[in-house]
Amino acid sequence: MSGATTTDFYQGPPLGDLIDGRKLVVCVGSGGVGKTTTAAAIGLQAAIRGRKVLVLTIDPARRLANSLGLSRFGNDETRIDLSALPEAKGELWAMMLDNQKTFDDLIERISPSPERRDAILKNRIYRATADNISGSQDYMATEKLYDVVETGRYDLVVLDTPPVKNALDFLEAPGRLARFLDKRVMKWFLSPYDKERVFGRLLTSTSAVVFRLLSYVFGREFLDDLAEYFQHFRDLYDGFRERQEAVVEMFHDRRRTCFLVVCAPNGPSLEVARFFLDELHARRMPNPGVIVNQRHLTLGDSLDARAELGTDIDRLGADLPPAARSSLLARLGAAHRRLLGLSLAEESLVKGLLGALRADQVSWQVPRLDDEVNDLGGLSRVGGFLFERQAPLGD
Amino acid sequence: MDVRRLLNSRLILVTGKGGTGKTTVSAAIGRLSAERGARTIVAEVDTFRPALTPMFGKKPTYAPLPVAPRLDICNISWREALVEWLKGNVPGQRVVRRILDNKLVQTFLDATPGVRETVILSRVVTLLEKYDRVVVDMPASGHAISLLGVPNVAIGLMRGGPIRERAEAILKVLSSSSTALVIVGLPEEMVVNETVELWQRLRKEVPTLQSPLVVLNRAARPSLDDNERALLERLEAAQVDGMSAAQRELVRAGRWEATLEAATAESLSRLDAELGVPVVPVARLGALGGFDGGPSRIVQQVAATLARAELSAGKESQR
Repeated sequence: MSGATTTDFYQGPPLGDLIDGRKLVVCVGSGGVGKTTTAAAIGLQAAIRGRKVLVLTIDPARRLANSLGLSRFGNDETRIDLSALPEAKGELWAMMLDNQKTFDDLIERISPSPERRDAILKNRIYRATADNISGSQDYMATEKLYDVVETGRYDLVVLDTPPVKNALDFLEAPGRLARFLDKRVMKWFLSPYDKERVFGRLLTSTSAVVFRLLSYVFGREFLDDLAEYFQHFRDLYDGFRERQEAVVEMFHDRRRTCFLVVCAPNGPSLEVARFFLDELHARRMPNPGVIVNQRHLTLGDSLDARAELGTDIDRLGADLPPAARSSLLARLGAAHRRLLGLSLAEESLVKGLLGALRADQVSWQVPRLDDEVNDLGGLSRVGGFLFERQAPLGD
Repeated sequence: MDVRRLLNSRLILVTGKGGTGKTTVSAAIGRLSAERGARTIVAEVDTFRPALTPMFGKKPTYAPLPVAPRLDICNISWREALVEWLKGNVPGQRVVRRILDNKLVQTFLDATPGVRETVILSRVVTLLEKYDRVVVDMPASGHAISLLGVPNVAIGLMRGGPIRERAEAILKVLSSSSTALVIVGLPEEMVVNETVELWQRLRKEVPTLQSPLVVLNRAARPSLDDNERALLERLEAAQVDGMSAAQRELVRAGRWEATLEAATAESLSRLDAELGVPVVPVARLGALGGFDGGPSRIVQQVAATLARAELSAGKESQR
């Protein structure tokens, strides 16, 4: 065996050992590396092991969604039919995040009165921005997370994080929202709008110049809308902040939470994975390790094997033109050289990442499956590698 | 938007699902453009770890950084773009300094919806004044929609003032016929879904955008004929008895390629049926000659593919 063999394919314990006692698993990583699939596969395995699991996912592949019975958007927690897997003792639930609806629900819940609620929901800036401005998806993912974890309806929540523009956005979301709601800032901005103070403020404050300038830059009308927007939120700060702080605390709780960095074996993705590993460590987030998805694997070639296969091809294709038989053999050889080249290149990239892991970080790998994973069977196969350490080449 | 018009556009916006190769395609377009004599800049948008770094061996900064003759790269951080914007739009440097020194104002600007996006796009428009061609390596799908949608949101919310004026100027540039949109995709079902959806949503948010060109990255050209495919299927059916592991791997490699080829054909036909825009397939690395030479060589190979696509588009139109 050469190159992409099963040597060192598994390090550390089966993933189940880590997840069994925990309440929250957060999958992070760059886009296109199979985060959603991994989150769903982990959820399914935990459900098979008897737990009640919610996979909270953002914009999954449509077919994966369909195969899980998730055709509707709108924050419904949907139970997945596991009757095809009689060994499953627990329950699997899934939910897709709807940004606007989560924001609306949040306002609904923390508004002190129906009048205040309606005023916010109708505010032009709120309507234009709740679903639209980058970052709000990150806030809303943490918001929903608080909701489902704190209610205790589930034994385990697996969170598939939103695709991130800046890898830090997600981890910073709670902090950023709290800063956004910084009381001093709001007080400063809103004070010219508080009628009884308006004259004193504008005439004496050193900020008056700045404030006039903001009116110039943004236009007075927008600033007035914005002030209304902030004024509505003023009484809601405490509720917001409390929830965001609870999420931050949850993220740091080693007994309850673990972070899994998900990546694919290519340069840019591994680069992002390293960055996440460093950041999670620096932020003291409970982080047991990294999952390298979609590994191409094969065995080394041999001339003997090629000759033997040639005999098989001649026997099986006796009725086909000889040219087809010899060209297929050549194509198989060429395809295998490419697959081997790819698997060796991936192996050396992955080695670099694994070599840089800290003593308390472990790794899991999943081979690239021949078909796209989009049903329970595929998820169960992915889970088999993570939880059962199945032989990656099927032997 | 065909590949010839794309390569002659003044502003080229490159987006797509995460992990599809947006940065590589941006770098390749930039390289091709500079080699053909245009002063070109490839801009990343506010990334913490710029993906352009390994491709050019230098880390892009806010200030344009020369990496090749006529070719610069940069990373548009929103904070620096804000400083530049304030300096250009607010009368009096003393006032600007006062704004920038004030922590409360900083936090306020941080929290005000749309400020980031506006100043970033504003910087892109400024770059257009200094370069013949600007290639923007945009954020992935959802974030790209937020970014490009902001000028319309700002125009809807503000009746006047410099931001509204700037938003109008930005929208005019985005809607211009010399602005091109590239969506990078892969021959995988979910990526094709997202590519189709991205254009549908973008068209809704910014109805004046030109229709895009799709670059289908990591595509596999069809190689197996019907006889070969039939024979491969027989091999797979027969392989249960007595084949060695090495033999099975040869058959598996054949299936792997056949699957990639089928997925590529399926993706091309779906993109044609559901989007109806030109698609340029870019072969996967293994077929292009391997991993030797690293990211800068890959950029070169993608640039060569685009140049070839341009030539054949030219030939077709002559017929």
